[in-house]
Amino acid sequence: MPMKGTFPIRRTLQYLQKGDIIFKNKVKIMTVNYNTSGDLSDGARKFVFFNIPQVQYQNPRVQIMMFKNMTPSPFLKFYLDDGEQVLVDVEGKDHRQIAQHVKKILGKSEDTLQAETQAQMQASNPANFGPKKYCLRECICEVEGQVPCPGTKPLPKEMTGKYQTKMAAQQE
Amino acid sequence: MFQALGGRSIQAARLCARRRAVVVESIRGRKSRSDPVAKSKEGRIKTPPPVDPVEMVVLKERYTEYKLMMSALRLDFREEVLRKKYEAETGSMAEERARKEAEEHGALMAWNREENRRMLQIRLQRVQKEKEEAERKELEAILELEQKQQEFIRMKEEEVMQLQEEAKHFITLENLDQRIEEALDSPKNYNFAVDKEGRVIKQTVLM
Repeated sequence: MPMKGTFPIRRTLQYLQKGDIIFKNKVKIMTVNYNTSGDLSDGARKFVFFNIPQVQYQNPRVQIMMFKNMTPSPFLKFYLDDGEQVLVDVEGKDHRQIAQHVKKILGKSEDTLQAETQAQMQASNPANFGPKKYCLRECICEVEGQVPCPGTKPLPKEMTGKYQTKMAAQQE
Repeated sequence: MFQALGGRSIQAARLCARRRAVVVESIRGRKSRSDPVAKSKEGRIKTPPPVDPVEMVVLKERYTEYKLMMSALRLDFREEVLRKKYEAETGSMAEERARKEAEEHGALMAWNREENRRMLQIRLQRVQKEKEEAERKELEAILELEQKQQEFIRMKEEEVMQLQEEAKHFITLENLDQRIEEALDSPKNYNFAVDKEGRVIKQTVLM
């Protein structure tokens, strides 16, 4: 599949996964008001162009809306769970500064993220056997190099229980 | 608990895999309720397998113990999960954590408000500066215009003065004769050579 459009790197998985703004659970809606022309709105434009895809990829549950040429100066507005609205003025700022600012006020901190990954790892032990929804494997026969499932290929006679009992009975 | 296939379909699968026309193994539940009993099974009385009382007693004991232990374990695990969930939501640690989070949130919001205020100040200053610039430019434009107008008037006045000066030396109808007499009386010699500096170096002699 060819790379289409300007800056097609924005559409690569690697770029999207590099996004580091992960919002706290109480952020539900994010709104960006910016202008399509003008020097002061340049940072906001670049933020929308480069950083919004990353943000949406990392926060699929947050609704992000863009409004163009509605106000003379650009700003971001966040609507939280408890009805609180957070206004961020971005006139004249650089897109990197905006991203940093947003991460600082509403992003999950490093230790929170680490704690979450730890909890995730503890909850899902790869050594468990169970339904495909919760574990990697259901039976040892699914693993490469193990005895295949007797449901699909019958076991060799020597490994069946009845043969072994027969041999044991014969020997006594 | 986790098995996907039942006993019935295993038989059917094996049948299809081996591709035999004759049904070698029976498929369970092939006959419905109203079908008659097979000829070979007419007088058959099904008896359950005999029970060994000694074995039964031993087995019963072991099974009760086993079931007790298993159910105890299961209840234990369930209780642990519920307790963890309860603590995560309404434990003492949870309250403290919630309070600390609210505090941090408040601090971050205050910082954000400060930033917004700072941006507001910068914006006000910029707007002020732009307004002043615009005013200054306007004044300058007005001044320029005035100056230009003055220049124009001055130029025109100078021209008028020069014209007045020249008018004194004009030849009019009154002194036409006089000027003709003067011109005829004073012959002028235009034959002269100049060097690069513009000084006259040679002149012919007028007859």
